Amino acid sequence: MSESEATNASGVITSSADRMVGAEHAEVRYFTSYDHHGIHEEMLKDDVRTRSYRDSIYQNPHIFKDKVVLDVGCGTGILSMFAARAGAKHVIGVDMSSIIEKAKQIVAVNGLSDKVTLLQGKMEEVVLPFPKVDIIISEWMGYFLLYESMLDTVLYARDTYLAPGGKIFPDKATMYVAAIEDGEYKDDKIGFWDNVYGFNYSPMKEIALTEPLVDTVEMKALVTEPCEIITFDLNTVTTADLAFKVPYQLTAHRPDFIHALIAWFDIEFSACHKPIRFSTGPHAKYTHWKQTVFYLRDVLTVEEGETVSGVLENRPNDKNKRDLDINISYKFEIDDPTRFAEGSCFYRMC
Amino acid sequence: MASSSGAAEPPVNEVPADACSVSDESDSSNEEGWEDVEPEDESQPVIGLFSDTVFPDVRSMLKESKEKNNFDLLKIQKDLDLDFLDTIKLVNYVRSEVQAGNKTPDVSSKEKFADDAYLKPVLEDDAVLYSLDDIAEDQGEDAAPGSEAERKVLELQEDLERLQTQFSEYRLAVQKSMEDQLTKEDEKLEPGQNAKRPVKDRLEDADADYFSSYSYNTIHESMLKDAIRTDAYRDFVYENKHLFKDKVVLDVGCGTGILSMFCAKAGAKKVISVDNSNIIDRAREIVYDNGLGDVITCIRGKIEEVTLPVDQVDIIISEWMGYALLFEAMFDSVIYARDRYLAPGGLMVPSHATLRIAPFADPDFIASHVSFWNNVYGFKMTSMQLNIHDEALVRHVPTTSIPAESAVFLPLPLHTITVDELTFLKDFKVTLDKDIDALDGWAIWFDMFFMPSSESTVPENAVPSDMQKKGFVGFTTGPYGTETHWQQTICLIDHGKQEPRPFKKGQVLTGKIGYQKKEQGSRLLDIDVQWQADDATKGSQHWSLQ
Repeated sequence: MSESEATNASGVITSSADRMVGAEHAEVRYFTSYDHHGIHEEMLKDDVRTRSYRDSIYQNPHIFKDKVVLDVGCGTGILSMFAARAGAKHVIGVDMSSIIEKAKQIVAVNGLSDKVTLLQGKMEEVVLPFPKVDIIISEWMGYFLLYESMLDTVLYARDTYLAPGGKIFPDKATMYVAAIEDGEYKDDKIGFWDNVYGFNYSPMKEIALTEPLVDTVEMKALVTEPCEIITFDLNTVTTADLAFKVPYQLTAHRPDFIHALIAWFDIEFSACHKPIRFSTGPHAKYTHWKQTVFYLRDVLTVEEGETVSGVLENRPNDKNKRDLDINISYKFEIDDPTRFAEGSCFYRMC
Repeated sequence: MASSSGAAEPPVNEVPADACSVSDESDSSNEEGWEDVEPEDESQPVIGLFSDTVFPDVRSMLKESKEKNNFDLLKIQKDLDLDFLDTIKLVNYVRSEVQAGNKTPDVSSKEKFADDAYLKPVLEDDAVLYSLDDIAEDQGEDAAPGSEAERKVLELQEDLERLQTQFSEYRLAVQKSMEDQLTKEDEKLEPGQNAKRPVKDRLEDADADYFSSYSYNTIHESMLKDAIRTDAYRDFVYENKHLFKDKVVLDVGCGTGILSMFCAKAGAKKVISVDNSNIIDRAREIVYDNGLGDVITCIRGKIEEVTLPVDQVDIIISEWMGYALLFEAMFDSVIYARDRYLAPGGLMVPSHATLRIAPFADPDFIASHVSFWNNVYGFKMTSMQLNIHDEALVRHVPTTSIPAESAVFLPLPLHTITVDELTFLKDFKVTLDKDIDALDGWAIWFDMFFMPSSESTVPENAVPSDMQKKGFVGFTTGPYGTETHWQQTICLIDHGKQEPRPFKKGQVLTGKIGYQKKEQGSRLLDIDVQWQADDATKGSQHWSLQ
């Protein structure tokens, strides 16, 4: 198992221990293998992520000074401590996970216990020591921005606790798609099931085609320009907006084959004095979010300047709100009937 | 869907739209490059009613039954006015009569097969039963033309809908009752209650299971792509076909069924594949797709609870190994299966395992995973270090981090070892082959051997590569072999509690290592190591693998 596959296997699935019910034997060893601090280590070592938060807070002490700050999903408490060091009057960190016990020790060791209050529980259930907060900070983003994300919790916190005129760090998230050439890896991931040690494994192939893949994509694999599909403004977005159906249009910048669409997101802290941004795209520095790959059933043969268009639809699964149902339709409309292609693929992130 | 039938998927409107179709209402015009997850026209192999012949679909089977055995199912269905459940009883009745040696079962009246016992499938996964709504459809097409065509069509549509509902209910009932009945052979299926009451819930559960199992794809992919593992099983089976020819084989924890299919290809008479996870449904499909459905029987359940169709097996094959070999305790189930089912002189595949330990010294690893927490963006996070020393880690260890030849601490002869022996405290002794600044921990891994007879022995200090040179199959999961998905298990020593000190090349470390299950039936494993250097430096620590 390569490092990236290992990260995928545990990365996509890990945080859902409840999903282990019914799994036996061989599966179990993977799900249970990841060590709990491993995930926090990975996030803290994601330099792009942690630095962006640090800079957006440390560069703006005038915004944080004497303010009450709420950290939604505080984990090890790093963002809460950034805010406390930046001069906040008080910081409240909330997390459902037992990691909060560690966070309390960490806060104490760093002499910030009087500035930072950590509460374990659901945002909807905990009782905050302040009726309103001036600033909400949160690192809520998941794979494909929204998979197992805490955005709905952040929105609940905003609607319940944020004082009028209060600020949210970060407050803008924009999603993009682009098309890639990925013949070799598609063959490895999808074609693999055609012949497994001489056997036909097509039932597994059908499943594989519905699973988006979280992986790093090289810039040179991009066949088209990126297309911005949606922006969420955290000051105004509602939970209902997180189910969306948006068109996209991709223009090839070179003659090539298209095997997959990829998606990524950019994050902006626009409340900063000087806005701070970071991207999780293939052109940017590695982040633990990587990119999300959606293999198409067709292989499209495109010439430079030609356009593929379609619609991407995303909604939480009816039964398990943490899962995402994603439908991507595509149409490659050209006169050449041998290259014309049209279709639609369903994916589920679970 | 938890069931494996590709032939007769219930129509989309019978189940939540997202359960079995990747389609979407707004998009019906995409003929190109677009298939259903389980194409509805896909035929499933059908076993003949009067012979063991396998037919590509139910129609060809019925045709032959009609021509060769003068058994016209459609006609009987019509003449006796059989409804859906009656027809199921008819099929099972015929099958049981034929199995009992009567090739001309009496089908003159409904009463002959009225007993509800005939609701129980005679063949597991009988494709005929799953194809009954296809047959109904055919009838509908035949009967539709005529003067009263329109009314007839409406009637038939209603019938069809009713049949389809009954069908999906029946299928779910069968699925459940199969499990129940396999263990409680005597318990009679009460169709009136059993088929109706909990169906809705079960439908939802089944489909929830189906999709939650999707994520497991990656897991099975990783295991199949672990060529060290899969090649070893394949090589042993294919290079020893004479051992498998005409034998009955049990595959414990079969996963996608790859080992079962190796055995079937090698000539096994019968392979029974047991797994207690959703993957069994995919395994069943895969087995059929590869035309091995007549050899391999897939059974879902715990090996301790299912009833096998045989009393004894000649060979047990299993890929049961977990991290540090015994994590997750699946080996207990393999031992249970051996004691319960393996014939005297029968073969365990693999046949031997050895557990090894070596000292671990890697200052870079300590710096990046332990010291890291000393200063995280200007904050001290040392409390995060605690778990690092409580929990064993699973990682690839570079050979440069192993400053001594490893020592075997437990040989496991699979033919004879008992569950009690899996809780142990064993001595070990290693000699450093280079100077180290600190002993950072202990690394644990295992080697596997596939010997061709239950009488074969493996030297206690055997190395897979040496055994390979002698023509035997084996593999190592240690740092000197090609990486496997098991990696190595690292138990880091807490330098905060045990002051690190340098050791010289040639120094001897002796100690004891203990394994203990966290509690009865638990997957979790507790590991204890006590050690002592030749200059009387001592240490001991406890880890858990979870």
